[in-house]
Order: sequence, then C-alpha cells, then structure tokens
Amino acid sequence: MFRAAGVTGHLHAVDVDTGRAVGVGPDEPVVLASVYKVPLLVAFHRRAAAGALDPAERTVLAPADRTPGPTGTSIMLDEVAMSLRDLAALMITVSDNAAADAVYDRVGRDAVNAALDELGLARTRVAGNGRDLHASLLADAAVGDLAELWDRLDEPGLLGRLSALDPARTSRSTPREAAALLAMIWRDEAAPPAACAAMRRLLGLQVWPHRLASGFPFDDVVVSGKTGTLATVRNEAGVVEYPDGGRYAVAVFTRAHVPAAVLPAADAAIGTAARLAVEALRRPS
Amino acid sequence: MSKTDIRQVLIRFLISSPVMNLVPHLSCFVAVAEELHFGRAAERLGMAQPPLSQRIQRLERELGVRLFERSSRRVELTGPGRLLLDEARDILARVDRVYALADRAEGAPLRAGLPAGLGGDVVAALIAAFRERRPEHRLEIRDLSTAAQGAALAAGDLDVGIVRHPCPVRGLAFGPVLGERFGVLLPAGEAAGPVALAALAGRDLVVFPREEAPGAFDELLAACRRHGYDPPSVREAGQPQFALGLVLAGTAVALTPPVPDAPGASWHPITGDPIMWRTSCAWRAGPVPGAVADFAAAAAAVLRREARMVPLDAAPRRVAPRPSSGFLA
Repeated sequence: MFRAAGVTGHLHAVDVDTGRAVGVGPDEPVVLASVYKVPLLVAFHRRAAAGALDPAERTVLAPADRTPGPTGTSIMLDEVAMSLRDLAALMITVSDNAAADAVYDRVGRDAVNAALDELGLARTRVAGNGRDLHASLLADAAVGDLAELWDRLDEPGLLGRLSALDPARTSRSTPREAAALLAMIWRDEAAPPAACAAMRRLLGLQVWPHRLASGFPFDDVVVSGKTGTLATVRNEAGVVEYPDGGRYAVAVFTRAHVPAAVLPAADAAIGTAARLAVEALRRPS
Repeated sequence: MSKTDIRQVLIRFLISSPVMNLVPHLSCFVAVAEELHFGRAAERLGMAQPPLSQRIQRLERELGVRLFERSSRRVELTGPGRLLLDEARDILARVDRVYALADRAEGAPLRAGLPAGLGGDVVAALIAAFRERRPEHRLEIRDLSTAAQGAALAAGDLDVGIVRHPCPVRGLAFGPVLGERFGVLLPAGEAAGPVALAALAGRDLVVFPREEAPGAFDELLAACRRHGYDPPSVREAGQPQFALGLVLAGTAVALTPPVPDAPGASWHPITGDPIMWRTSCAWRAGPVPGAVADFAAAAAAVLRREARMVPLDAAPRRVAPRPSSGFLA
C-alpha cells in the first residue's frame, strides 16, 4: 500500500483502552517534523498545571520575531497579541510555526524532554523548534530561502545532507512512542484530566482533511491528530474514535521517494494505512 | 361563527387567496378531522407528518380560526372546525367530480414509475390497491431507476414514482419514507443468525447496480467500509438469480433486502442493521392531482403490508463535525 503511493512508511496503532496493537516497523526511529508540537503541547500543559506558567498570559509577537511558515500568525503582517494557550491552539490546529516557537520559548526544550522522560518515552526527543529547523535547512543546503531549497531539492545528494531529515540529528520518535503519547492524552495520563481535555479539543480541531482523516470518511467517526510535513517527510499522529466507544491511537510516518511538494497519494496513504490498522484492531480476535 | 359565516369565509377565501391552494389544505383538514391523529392522517394521505402540520397551521392562519385543540395526548375538533368539516367534504367531493369528469374526457392514464427489485407480488398488490381506489383510471406502470424517475418527473413524462433515497429533491415532493433493512445472502450452513459486516472482510460483494439508485448504492458501500467490510471487488447484479448464482458458487456474498431462502443459500440480517434501504413515493411539487395522491396512499400501504417496509422515525443520524467540512469552511 505504501509502495503503491510512492513512499516508505512505518506505523503503529494501539487500542487506547485495551493496549492491543498492530504495527509496521513500529520501533524504527522517525523524524517528527511538526508532530513535535504534540510533546510541546503536553509539556506546556504540564508546566501550566505545575504553576510554572500562566496559560492565559498575554504574548505580543512583532513581525520580525515570528518564525516563517505557511499558516497562522506566520503569514500576518502586523503585530499580534494573544494568550499563550491561544497560540498553542494555532500551533496545533493549523501548525502555526511562529505560534509554536512563542510557546516553545516560554516552555523550554528541557521541560519538553523532561516531560517525555516522566511519561516513559525515552526514544522521543525534541531537539529544537521551528526556527532551528528552518536555520538548519538553509545552512545544510547552502541556500538563501525555502523556495530555493525546493527548487534544488532534486539535486543528487542534497536530501542526504539535510540534518532535519535525519532522526539522529533532529526531533525524533518512533511510531510506537508517538501513538503511546496520543493514547496517554486520551486516557488523561499525559497531564491532569482538564489539561488532557483541552489538548483533545485542539487536536480535534486540526483543519487538515487529507491524511489521517481521509481514511475515515464516516460522519459519525471523530478523527483528531497532528500532521508533520518536511520536504519528503509526511506524518500524522492522532486518535480515531467510534460511537461504540472504540478509540485507537495511530501514528503514521512516511517518506516519499521523490522530492515533490504536492503528493496527494502519499497523504491519502496515511489515512488508508491507518484505516487498515484500525479495522484490524476492531475485528473480533 | 355560524355555518353561513363559515361558508362566506370559505368563498371569500377561494376567490381571494391565490397564494394558497385550498383543495390540498382542505384534504389535509378532512383527513385530520376524521382520524383525530396527525400520524395516521399523514399516512392516509401518503405524506410526511411535518408538512401536514404546516398545512393545518396555514389553513388556520388564513381562515383566522383554530380548527383543532391539540394536546400532547389528543387532537380534537373545535366548534369552528366541526362547522367547517361538512363544507370541506362537500367542496372536496365536487372537486373530485370535476377531476373525474376531466379524466374521463381526457382518458389520460396515470404514469407511475417503479424501481427494480420490488418483487412481483408487491407490483401486483400495488396495481390492485390503485384499482380499488380508482376503478376507472388507467394505470401505466414503468420499470425505471430512481435517477430516471427524477428526470421523467421533472420533464412531465411521469406523474408519480417510487424512489430510493437519497435522491435529488429539487422540484419534487415526497410521501412518507419507509425503511427496509438489508441483509446478507450466504451459502447455506455458513452462519446462523445475524452476521457482522466485518465478518465478511475479504469476500467479493454482489449488490444492485449503481445506476438503479446511485445515492443508495454509495451509502451502502460507505456503510460497509464504516463497519469494517471493504470488499475487494463489487459486482453489480440486476438479476436476483445472477446474484444467487455468484453466492452459490462461493465466489461472493450478496447484500439484499430480505429474500426467501433458496436451496443452498440463506439470508441473514446484519448485526445492528447498519444498512437501511429508504423508499418513498415522489411527484412533482405543487398541486397534487387526485390520482397521484391515491397512488401514493396505495403505494405507502402496499409497501408496508406486502414489502414489510417500516416507517422511519427522524433518522438517528449522528454527525461528528470536522473543521474542514464545518459551517462555511
């Protein structure tokens, strides 16, 4: 299925309540890309619950301070003032890079990795934020901006030079741990229950329909998740909930064989793979 | 208000109210007055209950009197309502005579479309029930898909039809929607009692042709996938015998409304009844000719009695909204 879509893929799907699981290379190290915003969201809520930060704190972002990105406050022209938790909402629902970095600056990388340690996710590490990723891409490729990077992405050897695509040198996880983190949010274990409910709300409001959600074109099924996209990397980790109470955390990480910017088949393969995995978990054993 | 007053109000109304079509409203009034029950009256008229209630309210508004006392338990005629009943029956009888005269003069048959798969006994009972109501009216039955009926109704080539839902609704009016559950036809002895759709995983599917009713076909396949059955291939079979043959050969399973067990194959309900075939009469929106109303009422009764379809409550649909398909997204 992955091969037909022109990608290699790894996935892990787990029944949130019984722990029953299926996977394809579930313990392979994978690049998180924007899925790193989920551990950041968890750490943000844990810090808030511990009283270390105020989620309603007003934050002012000037245009020059904002990390580039295709959505949210990254695309705006003027100064933006918003609470930290509303920045977190944009960071999850539209993957707003500038909002994510503002939250990251307030939470700190060490707090994110400490939260992952406390949750027992030793193979999941956050190495930096959106600004760091952006800088590493430009430096590794020796280009002036992301448009130039796209133009040169098919040069032989270039993809291999990008540290942002190497799990050893960037924010990383495994399909099993990414699914486990989502399952903990759904079981109220990643943070206090009210904070987990707030996180579930945001993940359910993510706007993208083309990946995980595309595998479940059913009006009564709820699909929540967070995508990650970086050059040839296309990911999504989320939870699929059925009206009969069945809920399944699924993490799918793919890499395309060709450096095309637009690959709808690769996006849809994430949904199809997730559906096959969830169906397997729903079949009476 | 005296009987003379009522007559004057009605006459004024007949002359001065071009926006409202009095005859259908009076038919509704008489049916509710005779049944004293909105549900039964709607069934008798072959229409759904909400439009019936709206017509009664509109009539009351236009006449400026309350015709019924409604409580949660019962419906009763008011004084003005009782006075109106005789007059209304009289007017309707005269209107019927006018239509009957016109019909006889014209000799135009009622052109009715029926979907495939109704069953010979159902078709025969439908013709008999219409004849009972309109012995002198000729009935011309055509075997037409839901899509073809919609087009023929719009073009004026068909007067009334029986369609499968969901179907395009523009310019059409519908009778009450009846439901018929789908089950699965399996080789005999393979299962006992209800079968879960997920248990069919990996088997090829035989089902009615998509062109019969594209909306119902697409809904059926979506329900299969939703419940864990994504058939590797789908064979469209117009003939029940063809579907039965594929099942007997062991190459596929068939999803059908209830059918009698055949040697070597048996029909099973599906756990949770996830697939309901929804059927109703359809005609052009606007004034409803008496013959169309009679056909719709006869069809609703026959589909329930002979095809064992059941009235559907407001569908227990459950939609979990997604941002990408949200309001004005």
